[in-house]
Amino acid sequence: MRASRLLLLVFIILSPPGRADPLRYEFLLLPSAGVVGTFDRRAQITQTVDEVVQADLIFSLQKGPWKLFGEYLISDHEGDLERFQLGWQLSDETVLWIGRFHQPTSVWNHDHHHGQYLQTSITRPAIDEWEDLGGVLPQHFTGALLESGAKAFHSWWLRTALAGGIAPRITAEGMEPLDLLRPDSHRHQMGYQARASLHPDEITETGAGILLANDELTAVAPQPTELPGLDHVAVRLIGLFATYAGTTWKLNGAIYNVDTRLYYTGSHGKDSFIVGYAQAERRLPHNLTGYVRWEDSARAASSPYLQLFERFARSRRVAGLRWDFVQHQALTVQYANSLKIDGHYSDIRLQWSAAFF
Amino acid sequence: MECGVLLNMRRALQLFILLCLASQACAASHTLVLVVRADSKVSDLDSLTVRKLFLGLPVLVEGGLLHPVRNRSDAELDPIFLQQIVAMSQSAYDRQILIGVNRQGWLRPAEVSTVSRVLDILYDDPNAVTFMWLHEVAHNPRVRVIRVLWSD
Repeated sequence: MRASRLLLLVFIILSPPGRADPLRYEFLLLPSAGVVGTFDRRAQITQTVDEVVQADLIFSLQKGPWKLFGEYLISDHEGDLERFQLGWQLSDETVLWIGRFHQPTSVWNHDHHHGQYLQTSITRPAIDEWEDLGGVLPQHFTGALLESGAKAFHSWWLRTALAGGIAPRITAEGMEPLDLLRPDSHRHQMGYQARASLHPDEITETGAGILLANDELTAVAPQPTELPGLDHVAVRLIGLFATYAGTTWKLNGAIYNVDTRLYYTGSHGKDSFIVGYAQAERRLPHNLTGYVRWEDSARAASSPYLQLFERFARSRRVAGLRWDFVQHQALTVQYANSLKIDGHYSDIRLQWSAAFF
Repeated sequence: MECGVLLNMRRALQLFILLCLASQACAASHTLVLVVRADSKVSDLDSLTVRKLFLGLPVLVEGGLLHPVRNRSDAELDPIFLQQIVAMSQSAYDRQILIGVNRQGWLRPAEVSTVSRVLDILYDDPNAVTFMWLHEVAHNPRVRVIRVLWSD
């Protein structure tokens, strides 16, 4: 199996379009380190940052229209091949990827990925949290992703992304995506996502769009104790998002309606909840950026599905200040107050982040 | 006396012609052009495509991916590159390049600090696209000017 994959890769790189072109590459290192203190604890589990020190390594190899792209995250918490994608550049605007990718209906993750330097706030919205940090939506899939763009309505630009792949599974520890370096033999099901957004031009981040996803998540041993007898969960998501990226202000927000069907041995149940967030960033003199984020939800407290994820914050207020003190290095301080299903807590964080080519 | 006046007029005329030639030479040295190898498949690139190319976005011509080369052989080129080609500040450009690598694995343009190295890359790579002062390539049969990017 591995030999056939290797042969396929060699065939692709030596194919006529690839052979004529020199091999080119890029390497990006995004390290960060942080400290966190929690206080005013009125919840059983207060989520603290697991990744105190991390290095996010991004590499891209390109030969003609073929690309090999990956992201490896090393931290005091984990060492994971987060993305590993073989891409075929079909045209200027269209690329087809196969491999492990971040699913396109998480706006935050699809824009920022794992590197801390490129996101202004220290933490991401709870709805977009990674699986191994208590996330409630599947983020890593292994399959195919088609990203494209086209002119629309005269001068507007339409961006689309379609994806389908092997979905994470649910265990007592939360969600576990397929690990390419240590693949498991458990039963996995599939998930499908679509995203479309309109932008004033091809390059700007400003725009608004819609998200759709239908993911099937298998429950495997060790079974979650909160929902005994759970076999699998069908998660259907519809969402809207918008971003305004000006020179002084950046505003972005997303809202997701999540319907879940929980299939037990011999029965099934369903629930629905809404989660959203809005973030405002303001560039200030002396390379400072202030930001606030408001996260909230509806029907989250009564959701049986969310009982599987004890670290999920159904409401959160975040405020912070980032200082880009030298080129490609920043210090950020952030305060947050989080309301979980079983109580609330506050935390203060300090982070250094950087980007090195 | 009359002879002296004529001499002065002649000198003034010579000075005027000299100044005209100098200003012409100066104008020629301040025209920035987009260049490719003489046998490149690239025949024309509009300003939006040039902007995309130097922001690291993929640009294909007849199935071949173009390779942007940022010419930094002259300090005067940087402000023109930022204002006229990519239309953003240095910090915004740096961030755009980082975002492109992080999201899509786009490659940032190669940066070259000498004219001879820029020309070597052009001679070696039919998909390379760069920008140079017109006087540096005006009579070079191995490269082809695609368009004027800027002129003072």
